[in-house]
Amino acid sequence: MICIISFIMLSILGIFSASHRALAREAFDCVLRRITFRPCNATFKDKMKGKIVGKLMKRSVFAAKLFNKYLEAFSWIFFILMVASTFWAIKGAYNFYQYGSCNGLNQSGFCVFDPTGENNKISTISSDGQCSLHKPSEENLRLDGVKLEGFPEIKGNQKNSIVFIGCYNCDYSRKAYPDVMELVKKTNSDFKFVHFPVKDQTNFLSEYAYCAYNQDKDKFWILNQKLFESKKEDVQNSVFVDGLAREAGFDTEKINECAKSDETKKITENQFQTIRDLKIYGTPTVFINGKALVGPKPYRVYKGQLN
Amino acid sequence: MDTEKIRKDFPLLNGKEKVICFDNACSTLRPNSVIEAISNYYRDFPVCAGRGSYRLSARLSEKCEDTRKTVAKFINAKSQKEIVFVKNATEGINLVASSLSLEKGDMVLTTDKEHNSNLIPWQMLSEKKAILHEVVLSNEDNTFSLESFREKMNENVRLVAMVWTSNLDGVTIPAKEIIEIAHKYGAKVLLDATQAVPHMKIDVADLDVDFLVFSGHKMLGPCGIGVLYGKLDLLEEMNPFLAGGGTVSYSDYDKYKFLAVPEKFEAGIQDYAGILGLREAINYLEKIGFEKISEHEKELNSYITAELQKIDCIKIIGPADAKLRSGICSFVIQGMEVHQAAIMLDEMCGIMVRSGQHCVHSWFNAHNINGSVRVSLYFYNTMEEAKIFIDGINKIVKLI
Repeated sequence: MICIISFIMLSILGIFSASHRALAREAFDCVLRRITFRPCNATFKDKMKGKIVGKLMKRSVFAAKLFNKYLEAFSWIFFILMVASTFWAIKGAYNFYQYGSCNGLNQSGFCVFDPTGENNKISTISSDGQCSLHKPSEENLRLDGVKLEGFPEIKGNQKNSIVFIGCYNCDYSRKAYPDVMELVKKTNSDFKFVHFPVKDQTNFLSEYAYCAYNQDKDKFWILNQKLFESKKEDVQNSVFVDGLAREAGFDTEKINECAKSDETKKITENQFQTIRDLKIYGTPTVFINGKALVGPKPYRVYKGQLN
Repeated sequence: MDTEKIRKDFPLLNGKEKVICFDNACSTLRPNSVIEAISNYYRDFPVCAGRGSYRLSARLSEKCEDTRKTVAKFINAKSQKEIVFVKNATEGINLVASSLSLEKGDMVLTTDKEHNSNLIPWQMLSEKKAILHEVVLSNEDNTFSLESFREKMNENVRLVAMVWTSNLDGVTIPAKEIIEIAHKYGAKVLLDATQAVPHMKIDVADLDVDFLVFSGHKMLGPCGIGVLYGKLDLLEEMNPFLAGGGTVSYSDYDKYKFLAVPEKFEAGIQDYAGILGLREAINYLEKIGFEKISEHEKELNSYITAELQKIDCIKIIGPADAKLRSGICSFVIQGMEVHQAAIMLDEMCGIMVRSGQHCVHSWFNAHNINGSVRVSLYFYNTMEEAKIFIDGINKIVKLI
């Protein structure tokens, strides 16, 4: 067993050192013998044993004695640990590629490929309505049986369905939105946009967006993009938002009139409640073909969920 | 013998990293004078000897011939013509095996402890020319059995090729008696003196040996230079093992004429640096004196042997009396592989010993032993080093 352990370790060290490369070759020969059920090359095994036990002798006779006696057992333990860690490393790399996190879909534990956790940061939907980092949970994040009626939508080829739930004033929604829109355009997917205001200052934008969409569906997407591209502070200002709408070709007086109406408020309140019932815990949450992706994922992750 | 003073001549023994060289049977260290002689060649006259008519070439030729004289005197050869420079003892043996006219049915006798260099050539001849190769078995304590040798001797024996001092256990065979017996049957004798020449005074005239080979690197000299001694009449009868540049006095498209001995055996450019280094090595050894060298080695070996004999799980190969084993102490540790023990000695104490079968696979296979740890001493080793070694071994056996 020491041959296998040594082969892997020495192969890695051999990338940098010629002497280790020679030892790795010896270890490889030993591995070949092992897998063909022949005895391991005694010279190599003894060489490794001698080196390890010799070094240990200088520090602790007890440890050297233990290692000398149970080398095979230690080798098995190291081998099992190595296989396990290799499995988890491969799984982590796969998860990162597939979901943007080594720990799996929407899991925010440490990931060596994303050490700052950027792919899982969210604006939390909390009682005080403040953006913050929060450990995500995937519980009950399902769209099954939920009717998202009245929200802005783009009809595509019906092969893929994408729902973006985000907030104009939240950093991570602003980060994810361009990627999601690019994906929608490139794949001609069915798309629904849901504004879910995490901060009170942008509550008015729900009614505003609803009315703008109903006034002109095509121009709405221009306004939507402008809202995500503008400074966060500016989109809290209704005068500024009016300016953006005018630039997009909207009649802002009609929008404001519509937004103030009780009917609109009732509709948007119902929409808001529908989203709350989904138990969304942070923005952005992007449903792609029913699978929830919480936090701003890399473009490849969104693309990977398509049919 | 002032060991401390001697040690100053050896750069490795004065380096930052403390090493204990107990693998002298494989290769000895080189004193500064030898190193200097080698670098002198490359620095001062890096030319060909015997070929150029310019002064540097002539000077080098003269130095090489001086070395030949030195070697002849060193082993008491009758003539410097009897000294052939070869790459090493192995090449010397192969030269004899190839050039001596052994035919089908001729017998070659060896001991049962031959280094592969004095075994494989005869096995190959056995396959190629159907010569007979017989092995003389040692006594139980691994000393040479003259009785077995006498039993094996007969008129078919053309050559007795034996290791004089074994690199396996340090046992020296009674060469003079063996030669006398062999000559009575008309057989020639080749001695592999690789482990003998560095440790004792050699007198080929007194021995009346026919061929004798040794290597420079086991006697303070450079790697790549060795000597074949052969009686002049025998060498003159033999054809070269290698032919080419430097071996002929004349050639045309149809014929050639070999040079006289020893040139006809020295084909191609020679290891001039090695030859010059060898001369310095011989000078150094003669300055110290073989009596002192032998006495010092035996003292150290006796101490090491006595201490190892106190340890139950250690078994020494060869006779119990250290004085019969030159500077060599070869042993096995029951319960531990020899390579592990050797590596641990290096890791723990910086002691370099040899482990394995020491190119005497045949003996180990016949005795069903995997290998041994071999300590081989030389005159620059000290009692303090021997004590460190024993201390290391005592620690190692505690692991079992």
